[in-house]
Amino acid sequence: MGGPHPRLGRRVGAAATLVLAASTLTACGSSGKPTLNWYINPDGQATLTSLAERCSTDDYDIEIQLLPTGATDQRTQLARRLAASDSSTDLMSLDPVFVPEFASAGWLLELPEDVASAVVDDDVLAGPAETVTWEDGVYAAPQWANTQVLWYRQSLADAAGISEDLEAGTATWEQVITAASENGATVGVQADRYEAYMVWINALVQGAGGEIVSNTEAGVDAEVEIDSEAGRAAAAVVQQLADSEAAQSDLSVSREGTSLGAMFAEGSPGEFMTNWTFVYKNYEPSETNTVVTEEQFGDLAWARYPRTVEGEASKPPVGGINIGVGAFTEHQDHALEAAQCVTDPEAQLALAVTDGLMPARASVYDEQELVDAYDPTLLELFRTSVEEGGPRPKSAFYNQISGAVQSQWHSPFDVDPESTPRESAEYLREVLRGEALL
Amino acid sequence: MGNGSALRKAGIAVGALLILVWCLLPVAWIISLSFKSQESITNGSPGFFPADGGFAGWDNYVAAWENDQFRRAIFNSIGISLIATLLSVIVATLAAYAIARLEFKGKKLVLTTALAIAMFPVVSLVGPLFDLWRAIGLYDTWPGLIIPYMSFTLPLAIWTLSAFFREIPWEMEQAAQVDGATSWQAFRKVIVPLAAPGVFTAAILTFFFAWNDFVFGISLTSTEAARPIPASLSFFVGADPFNRPASLLAAGAVIATIPIIVIVLVFQRKIVAGLTSGAVKG
Amino acid sequence: MTHTVTAPAPEAQRKKASDRAVAENKLGMKLVAPALVVMLLVTAFPMLQALWLSLSNYALTAPDDRSFVGLQNYVTALTDPLFWRTMAVTVGIMIVTVFFELIIGFVFALVMHRVIFARGIIRTSILIPYGIITVVSGFAWQFAFSGTNGFVNLWLPFVEGNFNWFGEQFPALFAICVSEIWKTTPFMSLLLLAGLAQVSEDMIEAAKVDGATWWQRLFRVILPNMRAAIMVAILFRALDAFRIFDNIFVMTAGAVGTESVSFLTYRQVIEQFQIGMGSALSVLLFLSVLVIAFLIVKLFRVDLAAARQEG
Repeated sequence: MGGPHPRLGRRVGAAATLVLAASTLTACGSSGKPTLNWYINPDGQATLTSLAERCSTDDYDIEIQLLPTGATDQRTQLARRLAASDSSTDLMSLDPVFVPEFASAGWLLELPEDVASAVVDDDVLAGPAETVTWEDGVYAAPQWANTQVLWYRQSLADAAGISEDLEAGTATWEQVITAASENGATVGVQADRYEAYMVWINALVQGAGGEIVSNTEAGVDAEVEIDSEAGRAAAAVVQQLADSEAAQSDLSVSREGTSLGAMFAEGSPGEFMTNWTFVYKNYEPSETNTVVTEEQFGDLAWARYPRTVEGEASKPPVGGINIGVGAFTEHQDHALEAAQCVTDPEAQLALAVTDGLMPARASVYDEQELVDAYDPTLLELFRTSVEEGGPRPKSAFYNQISGAVQSQWHSPFDVDPESTPRESAEYLREVLRGEALL
Repeated sequence: MGNGSALRKAGIAVGALLILVWCLLPVAWIISLSFKSQESITNGSPGFFPADGGFAGWDNYVAAWENDQFRRAIFNSIGISLIATLLSVIVATLAAYAIARLEFKGKKLVLTTALAIAMFPVVSLVGPLFDLWRAIGLYDTWPGLIIPYMSFTLPLAIWTLSAFFREIPWEMEQAAQVDGATSWQAFRKVIVPLAAPGVFTAAILTFFFAWNDFVFGISLTSTEAARPIPASLSFFVGADPFNRPASLLAAGAVIATIPIIVIVLVFQRKIVAGLTSGAVKG
Repeated sequence: MTHTVTAPAPEAQRKKASDRAVAENKLGMKLVAPALVVMLLVTAFPMLQALWLSLSNYALTAPDDRSFVGLQNYVTALTDPLFWRTMAVTVGIMIVTVFFELIIGFVFALVMHRVIFARGIIRTSILIPYGIITVVSGFAWQFAFSGTNGFVNLWLPFVEGNFNWFGEQFPALFAICVSEIWKTTPFMSLLLLAGLAQVSEDMIEAAKVDGATWWQRLFRVILPNMRAAIMVAILFRALDAFRIFDNIFVMTAGAVGTESVSFLTYRQVIEQFQIGMGSALSVLLFLSVLVIAFLIVKLFRVDLAAARQEG
């Protein structure tokens, strides 16, 4: 029976080994000038690419690696690499909420004294500066700050008669939702089961003077406070919108991009939309951007984030990006230098002017180029929003907190002030104690 | 079949039409979607065909193809799937030959193992495999995907191949040897041509599996170094990060489907034979 | 197939034959060894590791806090309403999809068996859904069901134009099932076609001569004779459907109560980095598949020999 077959087997085995070996080899790069990998999130890709070129030096090159769109997916991708002690993760763009988790897991390099004091000096706005610290250490450099404002059409607000309140920054969610539904318009929010829904809920709760959790330094023993007056006020807003005519039909799967079209949709009075700063550049007509006409763009207006309850100032959501240095990088000094370079005022200005991603440094808001690029009232609004906005819970278990809240508050159609805050508090406690599946 | 009534003929014709619509309508839809312009998607354009003024021409295809991540993913998928297919078919051929031709202890064990693995819930492996792969440095590499693909395509390949090998008249090999051919010549000239179609079928089915895999693709990779097409599509990022680029995604999906359609068009008969012989005694 | 020596053999010859059997045994083992190793390397070893990890409280984000907790993870999972909800959803998807695939797949198989014209075109088209990437199918149907850019709402007379299919559990599960059924029915129909081909035409003709109606022929002759093929198809598709993941990931990402057991496990392990709890879920998922396989085999008395081709 033997004959040629065993020989064949041996040959085949050798071939297999060769192919495997060859495919392993292709994964290795060439040596020489080191390359720093910078994992970026997709906002402002083009600007970040030229930034990477500018910040490359004779000693190293910075190469861009693109992360997925969603904050949760970005975290997953980075965390998987870092959990594997990956030495090729040199620089990373981090959503501020993940800094505590990454820092406490030992995945971020703590910035040395001199670098820390340079990237978080007095010029950096308080909100962003707060997000890069964890347990007395500085773990990242603020690159840009994001915030949400209320975008709407002036003609719609005039018709609804709430322009004054909007301009004064005192309009409430109730007013906005009522105004929209009475005028055949809609209200655009982010209520898909993803991070931006947590952003909305957090802003609503804080706007009513509460917190989702407090004493977050205690980790899993943090105080869960969503079952409170503030939590119920927040749920009431979600419920009001979901039950009203003003709810967009895709409310439960709405994301940042899905409600953009409703603003200038044909035959409709438009919408009120809470959304990030990029919206302005998204609509602004240019040679490459012809979706919106000059006339329509002239009708675009903005106001401070709506209030959850009357008489209490709103807490606009704050986001942005911090640049962290991987704990396992082989090029620490280079990476630290590069992190400073990609967050310098020039970089922040470029991101703000071309991509609508607002600076984390106060002085950059005064740069002439930025003042020219935006309406002065809008620039002022962004700045106060960032300064007076509210952060999301700063916890090493943020991902669980956010996931638990999303799971109980989604779908927005099922939110009920009577039950949702209570149930989500119970569930959140169980999740933190590891007693419930998420 | 000859004296079927007109009613029955009409029924079959309707049925045939139904099959065609069933199979091709969603494909036509995704092609149609890929020609809708980005702007019309953002503003909302319900309907099967692109609306007036919402036709994008080849723009989405150009944009998808110019996307570096997407191109790398196509390259990864082709490379990984081909290597996995080649290795899997080689290993399966050896095993299938033994199962079809030889009597040995543990034959039942191999067949049972293969059956069990065909039913294995893939997701229950990604956790430990992720842990193992990052410990030994296979995480986010080509071999890190090739190895699991091999394991999960081997059962199908072994069944298909052993079914084929059983049909081969092996006496012809001895006959050729009697006629003066060396055993190697007899193997190459007589057995290989007979076995080739089966090997080929197994290869196509293996390739389909590897090309289609999603769970391993998203769990065991994190960059374009190894990320295959399905994972890449699900993370697809357009020029505007806040808008899911539906039509661009559709264009990418169409590009990713072209290899499958080409294979189906060319090898239709072999695939049908392989699918049915692998699972049903026949 | 085996080389049994039947002639009255002298002692020497018998010894030679047994030598030969030993050699054959050795060669056989050598030839299957690589396949066995590769298959077990990626399944058995990780499964054992999962079993071990499932006994500890271990999160990747806090590797130093790892502790041994015994069966606690299993207790938590099995007393958790979310686990049972995902189990119900998964079993629901499995039953619904396999049922419709079986019916539609059988009709398709009947048509393909009888059709004389355009055979090639039909068989080619039926392979396209089979070959298409599941993720692509998920996207295609997700966009088709979308109120803003799809066509389903416009084509269906009884739904409103802006109906949001992904806003609630049942419509969302419906969309997921449509994608799943679309993609896998062709595979089912090909398996059934092969079974159909084995039913002898003579028997059908005989029944016809006896005056049996079409329905009688179908239920008395055709179906009983392709029982084995049907059962094997059900077994394979049911286990496949129970593992559903891709479509859910793409179409709803588990929102509005559409998580399957696979999806829940993935989220624990890969997104939450809860390796301990995730491993416990992995083990439970594996056991569920075993139980379902066992139930189907016992309930429907599936002839596994047919599946393994042990004629």
